[in-house]
This record gives sequence, structure tokens and C-alpha cells, in this order.
Amino acid sequence: MASEVKLPRLGQGMESGTIVKWLKSEGDRVEKGEPLYELDTDKVTQEVEAEASGVLLKIAVDEGEVPVGRTIAVIGEEGEEAPTVSEEPEPAPAREEASQTPSPQQEDGRPAEVERPAALQAGGRVKASPLARRIARERGVDLASLRGTGPEGRIVAEDVERAEAAPAAAPAPVPAGEVERRELTNIRKTIARRLTEAWQIPVFQLQASADMTRVNALLIRVRESEEGPKATVTDVLTKVCATALMRHREVNAQWTDEAILLFPTANVGLAVATPQGLVVPVVRSAERLSLVQIAAARSDLVTRSREAKLQRADLEEGTFTISNLGMFQVERFTAVLNPPQAAIVAVGAIEERAVPVDGEIAVRPMMTLTATFDHRAVDGAPAAGFLQTVKELLEEPGLML
Amino acid sequence: MPELSYREAVRDALSQAMREDEDVFIMGEDIAEMGGSMGVTAGMLDEFGPDRVRNTPISEMAIVGAGIGAAMQGMRPVVEVMYEDFTTLAMEQIVNQAAKHRSMSGGQVKVPLTIRTQGGAGWSPGAQHAQQVEAWFVHVPGLKVVFASTPTDVRGLLWSAIYDDNPVMFFEHRTLYGIKEDVPDELEPIPIGQARVHREGEDVTVVATGRLVHEALTAAGEAESEGVSVEVLDPRTLQPLDEKSLVASVKKTNRCVVAHEAVRRMGFGAEVAAVVQEKAFDWLDAPVERVGAKFAPLPFAPVMEEYVVPHAGDVLEAIRRTVGRAA
Repeated sequence: MASEVKLPRLGQGMESGTIVKWLKSEGDRVEKGEPLYELDTDKVTQEVEAEASGVLLKIAVDEGEVPVGRTIAVIGEEGEEAPTVSEEPEPAPAREEASQTPSPQQEDGRPAEVERPAALQAGGRVKASPLARRIARERGVDLASLRGTGPEGRIVAEDVERAEAAPAAAPAPVPAGEVERRELTNIRKTIARRLTEAWQIPVFQLQASADMTRVNALLIRVRESEEGPKATVTDVLTKVCATALMRHREVNAQWTDEAILLFPTANVGLAVATPQGLVVPVVRSAERLSLVQIAAARSDLVTRSREAKLQRADLEEGTFTISNLGMFQVERFTAVLNPPQAAIVAVGAIEERAVPVDGEIAVRPMMTLTATFDHRAVDGAPAAGFLQTVKELLEEPGLML
Repeated sequence: MPELSYREAVRDALSQAMREDEDVFIMGEDIAEMGGSMGVTAGMLDEFGPDRVRNTPISEMAIVGAGIGAAMQGMRPVVEVMYEDFTTLAMEQIVNQAAKHRSMSGGQVKVPLTIRTQGGAGWSPGAQHAQQVEAWFVHVPGLKVVFASTPTDVRGLLWSAIYDDNPVMFFEHRTLYGIKEDVPDELEPIPIGQARVHREGEDVTVVATGRLVHEALTAAGEAESEGVSVEVLDPRTLQPLDEKSLVASVKKTNRCVVAHEAVRRMGFGAEVAAVVQEKAFDWLDAPVERVGAKFAPLPFAPVMEEYVVPHAGDVLEAIRRTVGRAA
């Protein structure tokens, strides 16, 4: 009698897995407990063992993503004909469904994917040991919701005890200590993909600290004299970086396989934390904007970021990024490049430090900048020149005139 | 504590009963001068004389029949059937006479007869001299059936068999005669119908009889090294069966393997499996596994004999199956 190999639920909340490769070929002899295939879940890649011995009659899914419960292969006897394999996970039989609470609905009105436990046999009979049945009965555990780990997928007592210890499906309040699972949003996936890409790039970091005495004074004057959104250190940085980028155009750049592109204007991206995750809206041609205009643009972008109302255009064509964690009292940090841009600057908190001034120890508001550069596009010396300019302009904003 | 072999323990129980009680005597083929084919009764002729240690003609029917007659007359005879294969020749007397008289006479007649016999594979005696037929007799109301696996047990149980007022089929295993252990100074009668737990465990109960008790203990040691805790229970008497101990053990471990040397099909294990599912169904976490000889007349060839009868490895595999760790 052939037994179907179904994609197991290996962890709480697992909905699907990606078959990476099969470790056995059709026609191979398979012993129960032998590694059968490699499965990639959102957490790990692992080898999954065969639950039955026999001959691997058919591999229904060579590779790729498969929902939990889908039949992916058939193990049977030598010479036995592989049964046709349904593309869909086995539907729960009517008898089982009748006893269940109404299926949860997804937003689009379709019923949410319901777990198809391996122990659910054709005809609606759940394969469970008598002990497992008794424990389930006594503790009110629904056997149909469990996946059996015993021989041939039988639910054994341990499965019921494990399920009771960690109720999965019920929308009950999450007990303390429970792992909370947050499904991947597209923005999260994008962040992960882009940062993983960025990690491949050969980078180097340069660090410099600037005396912010004059920026602080400037900000006080601007806030006093201008209406509209209050100018911030980030706004000054945006203007300073844009100006410095125009003076060091090799930093306002992008690496491609064919050529290095140098941009004619500084579109400065600002890393903004939102409830949905990190976004980097862009202040365009910041070198041409006044501090007040930058403050207005920045205020608008940040507000719309937090309200998730950014347009696609707000996020495009950045040539450089500023990431500021100074408000969290971070002294200094290293930012990961925001590809395809060639540089990003990580901004620490302004803090009072004892610094030598004209041979004396003075206490000054200091801020440390850590810039990360794509070494394929920018060499150390021009990058250092850029950072030096940024430092000088922060310490003497009048030089921007 | 004296050390006795299984063979000496049988002889000790017989001798002590005969010293204590004139009604006890032994009878069988070549049991006197020769001391029996297995040497169990060696020396007893010298101590008790030819009236109480009686050689018989080669007729199992006559041996058992004479024993029944003596028992009905108030004696406590212990007769020996040289090989359990030969009980076939005495079936009429055992099944239709010994087992029935007490009931058919409304209790006016008792048959306090002990029928000792032995068998078992492991020394290439062939298909007619090594069978394990104890299950046949478990099927007959009116008989008690004992199968002891250690010197201590065989001594204490034989005593109880002799002093039971019903006919008792008393099985010994050929390959156990040589095993030795320290036994109590004083013979301690072991009640018929009382199982013995040889080894306590948590994960699976192995119910084993005769030689398989020792195989099961070996398998249990192996299983322990794999992280599986095995309880080994020897019912010791197959009829009446100590269901209470059996069920209690399975309720504790939730899994059961039953192992005997006799053929698996319709063997004693089938009865154990039935009792377990009936009385401990809701405690079972795996099907009851049976270990027994393959369904074939025992071959002479040693390798084939070894192949047909079960050993520790077979018990271990069954243990692994019940805990879902089969290779």
C-alpha cells in the first residue's frame, strides 16, 4: 500500500515550505528515518526524514514552494503503480468540518488556509493511538488539528501533549512566553532583500567628529526667525551633505558593471523609521534648497512616511542617504549601504565632550559621523575629502555661502 | 544463599516435596537410574527408592493416565513427559481426563497432578523435539499452565504446582537447565497466577516467557542505551494469567511487546495482546507487537533454526517499532 509523503508542518504557523532538493530519486529504496529531501522554511533549511520504508515511486513536486499538507511524493512497494497525486492539499472531509468552528475568513472573503494534518486519513478517520485519543478527549484537544509523528503519521500521546502545551490554531490570547509570529510584509521582504544585496558590496567606513556649536546656534536663529516646521540637525546635515556632494561628485555616484555614474544633483535620502519598517524618502536637489525649504520637504516626507502615504516617486532616485540615530543617544554607529547609492552617513548624538581648543580643554557639543562607501565606486581619499568637507561645513556653516 | 542451576532447582523442589510428603512421587521414562534425559532427577532414586522414583514404559498416555489415577486416589504425583512434543501422545488423558474430572464430578474428584515437560530450540534437535506447545494447554479449561524462566522461579513454582489441587502443565526450557543463580536458603513457594517484573521501565512493557525472558532482558539493555526504558514482565503462569500486573504495567508504559519462542500465530502472545487491548485500550500509544517463531516446522540446520526462532534482536526491533524509532 503506497503512502503519500506530505509536506509536514515543522513549526508553529508554518504555512508552506520550499523543497530545495531531493536526496533520493524515483525508484530508489527508502528506509524510514532516512533523509528524503531538503526543505527550506522561513527559518531554516533542513533534511526531512522518510516516514515510511519502501520504494520512492513518485516525486510529485521536484522543487519550489509547497503548502503544508500537499502530497509531494509517494512511497510504496517495488513495482507498485504510483497513484495519481492531487495538486491540492486533501480537503478536510465533511464530517470533520461539520464539527469545527466556522473557518476563519481572509480579507478577500476566501476561507483562510486550513491545516491539513497528516494524520487525517481518507474517509475522515483521524489516525491516532487509543492513548492519544483518551488524552485528547480528557483535555479537549481536537485531534483533527494535530499532525502525527508516530509510525505512518499516527498521532501518539506525545503529539497531543505537545499540542496542549502550545495551542496553535485557537485565537486564544497568547500566553506569556509564546513566540509571536509576524508575517513578512512586502516592505520587510524588500528591506531584507536590499540589505542582503548591500552586504555583498565591498565597503569601507570613515569616521569624523564635528563641533556642532555653530550649527546649534544657527538652528536657534532659524527657528526664531522662520515660520513653518522647525529646522533640525538633520535638515542642516541634508544641506551640508548635498553641498559637500556637489564639491565631491565622485561620492554622489553609482556603480554599474559598465560604468560609474556621477549624478548632477544631490538627492538626499533620509532613513525614516515607521511602524511598517524602514523607508528612505528623498529630498531632491537638496543643494539648491534653503534650510527652511529642506525642513518643509523633510517634515512632509516624514509625516507621509509614518502615515504610509508616500508615493513611489518619493522613494526613487536618491543618490546619498543620511541615517540619524542621534535622538536615541546613540554615540556612533555604522550604516549598511543603501544600494545602488555609493555612500551613506550614519549620524550619532550631539553630546558634550571635552575637546582641546587652542591648547585648552573645552567642553563642546560634538557629533560623530560614520560614513560607509562603496569601494567599487569610490576610493578612500576622495571619500575622506568628502567627509572632511562635511565636517568643515558643520563646524562653519557660513562656508556654504 | 545457595547457588542452584535451573536443573538443580527443579530437583530441589521435587526432593523437598518428597521428603516432606509421602504422597508425592515421580514417574517417567528413564528418570530413575538414568536421572531423566536432561539429568533433572539424577540421584533421586538413591534417596527415595524405586517406589517413589518410577521408570515407566515408553507410553506417554500410560504415564499421564497412571498419574491421573494416582492423583484421584489422593496422591500428588509428578509425572515427566520427556519432550513436550510428546504431550501429543497423552492429549486424551490431559485434555479429556485430567482437565475434566473435577468439573464433571461436581467437585467430588480432584486431580492434583503435575505434568513436567521440557522443550525448546537452540541445540538443533529438529522439528519433533524442540517445539514450544504451552499455548495449546492454555486453551483447555481445567488445566493450569506454568512456564518458569529462572532457578528461583522454577523451584518456587514447582512446589506450588505440586500442592495445587488441579492438574498443572509445568513447562521447563531445555536451554535454561544450565543457568545458575542464588536462590533463597529456604524454598519459598511462588503462588500460581503471579507475574514477576524482572526490570522496571517507563516506555514499553515486554511480556516474555521462558527463554525469551532472558532475550528480552538483553534487548532491554540495548534499548536503554538508545534511550528507551523497557519493563520486562514474566507472567510465569500462563493459566491463570496475572492480568492485573500485566494491565498495570501497560497502563504505565503505554506500549506492549509480547515475546515467546513458540510460533507467533495463535500463540500465547495473541492472548496477551487481546487482554491488553481489552483492558488497557485507552492507554495504548502503539499497536501491541508480537515476537515469536516463524510459522514453520523447526529446521535441523542450526542456521535455519536460529533464523526461525526469535532472539534478543527481534525483541529489540519490536521495541523500536512500538516507540516509533524503527530503523
